[in-house]
Amino acid sequence: MNVVAVQDVSKTFGAGHTAVTAVDHVSLNVDAGDIVLIMGPSGSGKTTLLSMIGTLMSPTTGRILISGQDTSTLAPAQLSRLRLQEFGFVFQTFNLLSALTAEENVMMPLITAGVPRKEARAKARTALEQLQLGHRLRNLPRDLSGGEKQRVAIARSLANDPRLILADEPTANLDAKTGQDVTLLLCETACRENRAVIIVSHDQRLRTAAKRVITIEDGRLTAEEAGDHNLNCRMHPESVQS
Amino acid sequence: MLFLAIKNLVEEKTRLLISVGGVAFSVLLIMSIQGLYQGWSNKIGEYIRTVPADYWITQTGATDMFHTPSVLPLTVRDFLTGVPGVATAKPFSGRRVAFAHNGRDINLYVIADDTENNVGAPARVVEGKAVPDKGEIIIDRVVGRSENIRIGDTIPVAGRELKVAGYSEGGYILSFSFAFATKEDAESILQLPGATNFFLVTVKENADASGVASRIEADPAVDAITKDRFVENNTNIVRDTFLPIILVLLLIGIAVGMTVIGLTIFTSTIEKAREYGVLKAIGVSNRQLYTVVVEQAVTAAVLGYLVGAALALAVSAAAGTYVPEFITEIRWLDAAWIFGVTFVMAVVSSLLPVRRLARIDPAEVFRA
Repeated sequence: MNVVAVQDVSKTFGAGHTAVTAVDHVSLNVDAGDIVLIMGPSGSGKTTLLSMIGTLMSPTTGRILISGQDTSTLAPAQLSRLRLQEFGFVFQTFNLLSALTAEENVMMPLITAGVPRKEARAKARTALEQLQLGHRLRNLPRDLSGGEKQRVAIARSLANDPRLILADEPTANLDAKTGQDVTLLLCETACRENRAVIIVSHDQRLRTAAKRVITIEDGRLTAEEAGDHNLNCRMHPESVQS
Repeated sequence: MLFLAIKNLVEEKTRLLISVGGVAFSVLLIMSIQGLYQGWSNKIGEYIRTVPADYWITQTGATDMFHTPSVLPLTVRDFLTGVPGVATAKPFSGRRVAFAHNGRDINLYVIADDTENNVGAPARVVEGKAVPDKGEIIIDRVVGRSENIRIGDTIPVAGRELKVAGYSEGGYILSFSFAFATKEDAESILQLPGATNFFLVTVKENADASGVASRIEADPAVDAITKDRFVENNTNIVRDTFLPIILVLLLIGIAVGMTVIGLTIFTSTIEKAREYGVLKAIGVSNRQLYTVVVEQAVTAAVLGYLVGAALALAVSAAAGTYVPEFITEIRWLDAAWIFGVTFVMAVVSSLLPVRRLARIDPAEVFRA
């Protein structure tokens, strides 16, 4: 079963002669373990498509299935639950909660999902240590570098073991090397655990991580090609068994 | 989610200080006013409670010592002592007397200290003589301090110069206070030849008190009012006079508290709109977010309550020392309902931020 099935989806903003179609009859399937890079110029509809896949925006026409479930049939509370359980988000501006430490930021999705605080803390700590942030657990976002912030965001996106990670321009606010390192780290981590990743970016260097590269222009998918997928994706034994 | 609410509050210390300060001010206002109301209510009944009587006998229609005049001929005593079940019936004379002293208006409720009948003595004498002699008067210590009248000073009471012989306590009632002169001086001041204001009746041990009262009221010229009822009638003066003012100030206090919490939490919500959007995006439900905002408001309110209550107690103690008229009594019951009001205030003031929160579009988080 596809993790994501986008079926003939369009999104139009406004009405009448001011209507703008941001996404135009797009269809796309993403499977477990896929790393999909969506590229395109500004205003091409990449982020709108990502928002719809992330159930943050509803399509004007067409439908989106997440793990076989039609998202258009779900109530807002059910969509929140779906996002909490199935998705991890990585944002261009990191979007960490400024009042919380790195550890507490990673704990947020776990606590929201009802994981006991002690267990959530232990999981968050482990996740951050795996991303080489064990020494930054108690630091607030303002005390972290851009790369560290993005790694915290990655740890947060992985906290609830999501099947799908959605990353919006994850390298945009980082220097070239840090950006690439962090995104490769995200992809490798996801790939090892057989999670699907959809990245929206202008950054051509991310082709090295992607299995598939999709180009979108004027809201339409115009090309799809294989990425380099030059990653160490040795899967964890648990993931293989499942 | 309480930890997020607390972290959000603590992150913005200035805003937290404003929230807590606003609520503290509101609680201070409400608690002090309620304390004053309670203090004055108690004070007005305090002296009357010490007067030995099962029934106060008044002229028909008179219900208290202040609102309605009561004048009874001394011959009523004969009637009262003849009523079966009455143990004692003693005259009690007193009324308000206003005069000027050192350019200030002073109001005393002069009571005849009738040592012969053991009626009309001060509740507690704290300094000077306990029983006035002819030409002397005992005044309340609060009046002594506020009007700078010392023991040994002479004051002109209704045209008579009386020397202050002592200070009593427990007889200060807002704009006037009880004062005690000899029976002869009081009769001269009160101008009650052959009359008195009330009779104090005690009932024999095994007699049916209500039956005795009915027999007394068979005389259409008098009413028999139980001691408790008489205390309540007098206390109601404070209630009737000050309750509307207290209610207005209470509403002002609540409005101030709600406005401060509401605005600070609202501005915090606006500033953190993006973060709330992130939380919505990662799967935090609207309900959970509303809880965070309400918890923020309630936490600020509880802190404000604690600060405000502590301030109210401190102000009450300090003001009582420097301003004798500031008589307060802060009861646990009042502290409890004010806490309830503070809690409700916090929840209601969260409604505006919650409405704002509901409108945050999580898709915005994808915009840089």
